[in-house]
Amino acid sequence: MIPVHYNIRSLMVRKVTTLATAGGIALVVFVFAAAQMLGAGIERALGSAGRPDTVIILRNGSDAELSSGINNDLLNLLTTRPEVAVDKGGVIGEVVVVVTAELRDGSGVSNVLVRGMPERGFAFRPEAKVISGRAPVAGSNEVLVGKAIAGRFRGLATGESFDLRRNRPLKVVGVFEAAGTSYESEVWGDLDVIRTSLGRSAAVSSARARLTSPGQFEAFRASIESDKQLGMKVMREADYYRKQSAQTSGFLVGMGTAIAILFALAAMIGAAITMNGAVANRSREIGTLRALGFTRRAILSSFLLEAIALALLGGAVGVALVMLMSLVKFPVLNFQTFSEIVISFRATPGVVISALVFSVVMGLIGGLIPAIRASRISPVEAMRA
Amino acid sequence: MNLATYSRRNLLRQPGRTILTVVAIAITLFVFCAILTVVNAWNAGANEAAKDRLATRHKVSITMQVPKRYIDDVRSVKGISKASWAVWFGSKDPKQRTEFFAAFAVDQDSWFEVMDEMQVSPAQLEEWKQTPNGAILGDVLARTLEVGVGDRLVITSDIYPGDWEFKVVGIYTPLRKTADRNSMVFRWDYFNNDARTSFAHDQIGWIVSRIEDPTQSAALSRQIDKLFDERDDQTMTQSERQFQLSFLGAFSAVLKAFSLAAAVILIIMTLILANSVAMSVRERTHEYGVLRAVGFRPRHVGGFIIGESVLIAGIGGLLGLLLTTLIINMGIGPALEENMAGMFPYFRAPTGLMLTAFGVTLLVGVVAALVPAWGASRLQVTDALRRLD
Amino acid sequence: MTTDTNTEATDVKREDARAKDIVTLRGIAKSFQRGRESLQVLDGLDLEVPSGSFEALMGPSGSGKSTLLNIIAGLDRPTRGTALVAGADLTKMSDGELAKWRSENIGFVFQSFNLIPVLTAAQNVELPLLLTSLSAAERKKHVATALRVVGLEDRMEHFPRQLSGGQEQRVAIARAIVNDPKIIVADEPTGDLDRKSADDVLTLMERLNREFGKTIFMVTHDPAAAERATVQRRLDKGALQ
Repeated sequence: MIPVHYNIRSLMVRKVTTLATAGGIALVVFVFAAAQMLGAGIERALGSAGRPDTVIILRNGSDAELSSGINNDLLNLLTTRPEVAVDKGGVIGEVVVVVTAELRDGSGVSNVLVRGMPERGFAFRPEAKVISGRAPVAGSNEVLVGKAIAGRFRGLATGESFDLRRNRPLKVVGVFEAAGTSYESEVWGDLDVIRTSLGRSAAVSSARARLTSPGQFEAFRASIESDKQLGMKVMREADYYRKQSAQTSGFLVGMGTAIAILFALAAMIGAAITMNGAVANRSREIGTLRALGFTRRAILSSFLLEAIALALLGGAVGVALVMLMSLVKFPVLNFQTFSEIVISFRATPGVVISALVFSVVMGLIGGLIPAIRASRISPVEAMRA
Repeated sequence: MNLATYSRRNLLRQPGRTILTVVAIAITLFVFCAILTVVNAWNAGANEAAKDRLATRHKVSITMQVPKRYIDDVRSVKGISKASWAVWFGSKDPKQRTEFFAAFAVDQDSWFEVMDEMQVSPAQLEEWKQTPNGAILGDVLARTLEVGVGDRLVITSDIYPGDWEFKVVGIYTPLRKTADRNSMVFRWDYFNNDARTSFAHDQIGWIVSRIEDPTQSAALSRQIDKLFDERDDQTMTQSERQFQLSFLGAFSAVLKAFSLAAAVILIIMTLILANSVAMSVRERTHEYGVLRAVGFRPRHVGGFIIGESVLIAGIGGLLGLLLTTLIINMGIGPALEENMAGMFPYFRAPTGLMLTAFGVTLLVGVVAALVPAWGASRLQVTDALRRLD
Repeated sequence: MTTDTNTEATDVKREDARAKDIVTLRGIAKSFQRGRESLQVLDGLDLEVPSGSFEALMGPSGSGKSTLLNIIAGLDRPTRGTALVAGADLTKMSDGELAKWRSENIGFVFQSFNLIPVLTAAQNVELPLLLTSLSAAERKKHVATALRVVGLEDRMEHFPRQLSGGQEQRVAIARAIVNDPKIIVADEPTGDLDRKSADDVLTLMERLNREFGKTIFMVTHDPAAAERATVQRRLDKGALQ
């Protein structure tokens, strides 16, 4: 085995080449990791919104709260089920609507999801906390706005108000956070005030039920769905959000990854050019090593190692740079609700590991052919040249 | 022989390196063009959208509806030549031949007059007016759903319960690229009379109107919204394109990310080329010393290096344009245009974009060579001659 | 011809040096910076080379032979002193003027030939002419003439790797004379050659000196090569012996 510091030194000697190649790889890793971080951000926002002991009830045929509707009397029927943990939250019926809001920076309009919830709605989600302003007075026209969209839209900052119906303004009195979930991109207000404004007092959009344990799900679902008259379907909250998460992130992460892979093709060629040069420059050296008794395999692995070290250097720089993306907020469209959710790029150990693995793979592939060439150098010819 | 002979010959000195560099440039240029094509296609959708049409919808939310009688108010506005209306019916095919498609309940008398980029034969249109449950499909959608005129079609909705059965009475074909060939329309009166829609009886999703003078669109939009200012349901009137965008609001952030990615790929291209050029220059330092000794000036040496770099960039660029033409303009472009006409009526890398991209590549050739050329031209002749590696 | 006559004559000829001497160096000093140390290579060196002479400069490695040669050829500048070569005061010229002056007055012959491997023999010879205003046809004529002088008119389209070492050096000599320079400077021209090729190259240089009147200034380690010159000088520790 040829010592590793031999490779490290040879990378340090050719500074410009090493920096240019590692720089290219760093940029590719940056793009790749940014796409993964966006995926992780979406996963965090939507994927973690669901709790295992909570189910969501929609009208049969509906895939999203927005298009669903359940009459009030049916809602009462749910509450009587034995699987429901009344003391831990019970059943809440909520109404959701997307409203058009003007972006504060003047770049146009977007859709924001407004959720009308009963007084218990806030307590039903223990992760939710008011972080500025104050909690709304129950039954009033006061609302809270989620942390992710606070300040993003006209009329949706504390102290401002917006109309859901003519002359019935909803007043923003505070900002809430909800552990980074997509709830933070919503506006929360009183169920009755909001549904009266919408002229839908007799119904809610969807219902959520807290079960006594996650294991009760099947029993609960069977009892609701077997009664065709009810026309309702039951999903685990986690499944409901997982589907939204997959739909929302699928396109973006897919696009980002595809772009990164195309970029990687170029970066691998860059690495190949560099390693080819390294082999050519050192053919005498390689010949000497072979003459000293190092095997072809030792030469091969030495150059592969050097390519990997080069790529890892780039990968590490790329990963370090991409951490800055954690500060960036990125609006994406939740295709199920047609509304905007603002995502934070999110660094996870998985993202870091996959980015580093990605860079190692680039180094391996880019360095393979040059390393094979190096291992085939004949000691006699190299030393004569 | 002239000065370029030397640059040209030098390309073949390390053929492996030159080929790899050319390929890398071709790939990066292709990716650059592909990214810009997406951005361009998005903007093209805006440019090609009908300029003489306005969409009027509920001010508060795209999901809220307005009373059907609003259509009469809109039609009475001076400057509006025609108006029609539609209701969104989120459609799914129970047989799952497609995941999801756009279907609308529309007015059979005025819809195709306003949406004149879609063409239906007069006979089929007449048949539709006689058939309450008649539906007309875009040609691409009809192919996907494997139905033809006279067939029965059952679909379901995300919003309205149960199965909905229609009879296909016509197929529309596009007259302009912007026409969405993937949608379906059926009669609003049939829809409105169904008990399953009673909770929204006599309500409509949006009004689409044709205006006589496209330059008046902003003034007319304000005028329409003013009509309903004092009513319970206020409206928001926009150009048709803006209306489409309101369903895809967050897309602008994606476009920004795309533009950033395009800039990143240019930097990658520059780094790869600069490295390749720097390696060649390092190997030839001694030779540049000889040239300087016989009287060539530093600017000559710099010129050789930049010339060679631009040459590599140019060859790679041409190859990249070839890839772009083959893969985008002849491959995925036409397919996307057919299936996503609503979003991407024009998905090609236009000549202007390709020429610009090629120009940028040549510029990258110059930029990538600047540092090595500067270094080589600054070398003392005696130092350069002494260097033998 | 001996060195003695030349050295004796120096004082006498000083007054009309401009007319007779093609190279006049006065008080040339050259030092290099090696890290913190300053290395004095030449120190107050005087030298006259009469026009039309063939001089060989010998001396141990590190004695400053190549530095002296580079100063005469206008490749390097002395730290102190004046260098009058072919009627020009090199120390007063800019880098650009020096480059132009070199292309008109100096022909270079190097130890390792220094041909451009990607160019043919004819193209290598043509290289210095690209800096002149000669037409392509005229350049072709000059190239043919130069290659005929070195006896390689039948090797014009060969690339350097297709030539022997001796042939390569003759192509390099053709390149050195193609623009009809007044002085040819040669740095170890036979150092990389076998005896036979070295003799051929030296014979060629003698011809250039005698028949064409070129002044030749040659640095060499090889006593046999120095023998062929009309004047032999020795440089040791930065001073001419």
